[in-house]
Amino acid sequence: MDAILQTLIQGILLGGFYAVMVLGFSVIWGVMGVINLAHGEYLMVGAYMAWALSNAFGMDPFVSLVVIIPVMFVVGYVIQLVLINRIVERPHLMALLVTFGLGIAIANVVKLLYTADPKYINISYGGATEIAGLTFPVVKSLIFIASLIIMSALALFLKRSRLGKSIRAAAQNKNAARIVGIEINQVYAITAGICIALTAAAGAMISLTVPVFPFMGPPFTLKAFTITALGGLGRIPGALIGGLVLGITEVMLARFVPGIGTNIGIAASFVLLVVVLIVRPQGILQGLRPMDEVD
Amino acid sequence: MALLRKRVEKFAQGWFAFALWILFIIALYVFPYSGFITEKNELMGTLQTLSQLFVLITLASNWNLIGGMTGYVDFGHAVFFGIGAYVLGVLVTTSGGALWFAPALPFWVALPFAGLAAALFALLIGMPTLRLRGPYFSIAMLGVFVAMREIIRVWKPLTGGGAGLTLPPQNALFGFPQDWFRMGEYLVMVGLMGIAVGLSWWIRRSEFGQTLLAIREDEVGAEMRGINTTYHKIAIFMVASFLTGLVGAFWAWQNTFIDPDVVFFETRTIEMVMMSMLGGLGTVWGPPLGATVLYFLQDLIWANMGDVHLLVLGTSMILLVLFLPEGILGSLSDRSGTSFGGLFSSSKRTEREAAPQEKSVIEKSSGGV
Repeated sequence: MDAILQTLIQGILLGGFYAVMVLGFSVIWGVMGVINLAHGEYLMVGAYMAWALSNAFGMDPFVSLVVIIPVMFVVGYVIQLVLINRIVERPHLMALLVTFGLGIAIANVVKLLYTADPKYINISYGGATEIAGLTFPVVKSLIFIASLIIMSALALFLKRSRLGKSIRAAAQNKNAARIVGIEINQVYAITAGICIALTAAAGAMISLTVPVFPFMGPPFTLKAFTITALGGLGRIPGALIGGLVLGITEVMLARFVPGIGTNIGIAASFVLLVVVLIVRPQGILQGLRPMDEVD
Repeated sequence: MALLRKRVEKFAQGWFAFALWILFIIALYVFPYSGFITEKNELMGTLQTLSQLFVLITLASNWNLIGGMTGYVDFGHAVFFGIGAYVLGVLVTTSGGALWFAPALPFWVALPFAGLAAALFALLIGMPTLRLRGPYFSIAMLGVFVAMREIIRVWKPLTGGGAGLTLPPQNALFGFPQDWFRMGEYLVMVGLMGIAVGLSWWIRRSEFGQTLLAIREDEVGAEMRGINTTYHKIAIFMVASFLTGLVGAFWAWQNTFIDPDVVFFETRTIEMVMMSMLGGLGTVWGPPLGATVLYFLQDLIWANMGDVHLLVLGTSMILLVLFLPEGILGSLSDRSGTSFGGLFSSSKRTEREAAPQEKSVIEKSSGGV
């Protein structure tokens, strides 16, 4: 029983990270209908920035978020303006191909800069604390808390701020948003900036628990897709539920099925995706059903 | 220009182009005996180069069947290459007795099983993912690819895990003497390429192929006309996978060693996509042309810059979509008719989807925030 509870906690902690990891992907998809296949690569870039900052200035990865988020916001903003906005209204196929190519290019630029060797970040506060007989790994718990804060901040931003309302308007009905004077290209660029900054922040946090290497991205892209299919497009509660489902499934599989390494998580998320597509193609929370909009 | 396009299009789908292709294949069969290259080692080297090129052409042509003709981009097509390779490897070696009930099969007997296994796997993947419109298939294939590599790595008793499988060293095919050892693989690859491209030509002309193009241009419209789009998508996916499985099996046999990393090799998928895009998605002769151009570019220009190879591929994929979205041949062929319609046409998605589509499951991907 204890073992199950302990595994469950690990799954929940992982799920919280997945939830914040998936937000960028899910909001970009929800708002502009672009499947960002370079998602994992943005995450990888964030992880590398955290590693580089910690290496050069001894900056703690959680502190380095202050640098990473603004920088990656600008990167995302510019990429959206010069590249993705050109194809955002064309068939899906084009966006898929462009972001796929972009992902390959980013991963290989990073590989040229830092070689393919995995990098590790050393921190002083590893280990675990014990609460009520259950062990909580410190780093993962911190990531979980930070994820919850980021998620609430994003939810508040989308719900309350003027800009957030414009983003929601653009997602619900692009043409009507244009008519009431929302600059769609700008809104898209800002959305992409926010999403990519969030993704990079998630990458910076995960760099504390996994080795950082240039080709770590694609599994995260796939997991992001699975979670989005589970939880719905651009829905923050959906992202949390989807993330928890995937996180718990993965950890349980690795713990209780013998002969399966942790790498099999990627296979687990794929099987989960196929099951969802068979059973409920509209997503668990019906999030994948098109909104009542004519676009 | 429009006239030229129409002519190119008509020519490419005509019997004359097919006859030229058959002649070309015959010429390739005669080539080693022609005395054009008399020095043995040089001849063997040329045959090896050509075989590699033909592998690429066959793969590009197969990818184009699903990715180009139906517009369902397959980001993990190399998985069928890997499945073909492993099925052949396991059947030929019986995994050192792990497959105790089966005798070790000779190459020719195992080959069809490799293709069939790939096609069956395509059916398994296609059933859930190709039912849906939109990007689900593309992402699922990305996942299948990564997942399969992990499964092969974990399933040690059968596949040898990360250590791989070593196939028994092969005698030259068709009993060629030792100094002609490249001949056998060359002949097989010429045959496979001839079949793959010929099949692509035939499909493009047939009603089946026109249906696929209709699905690409306007899937809802095709459904309205009573076309069972799911059936067509899965069927062509299986055909493409069968051929890719055969190529993979043959590659494994010729390489005599397979492990998860060489067989499930990301670059192979990326190259398939690139070659088809470069030549022209959905055209018959585009992928072979794209494969040839890419092969020689790689050989001539960046053969010695291994590190930037993928960077160049990724960047050129972006540039191709932005500036030459229809590829070399596609930009020459007629776009006015149904044959090469609005896949990349400048009309915006909003206009093309202006008609309300209520029943569509996941066509429209914009949801709410």
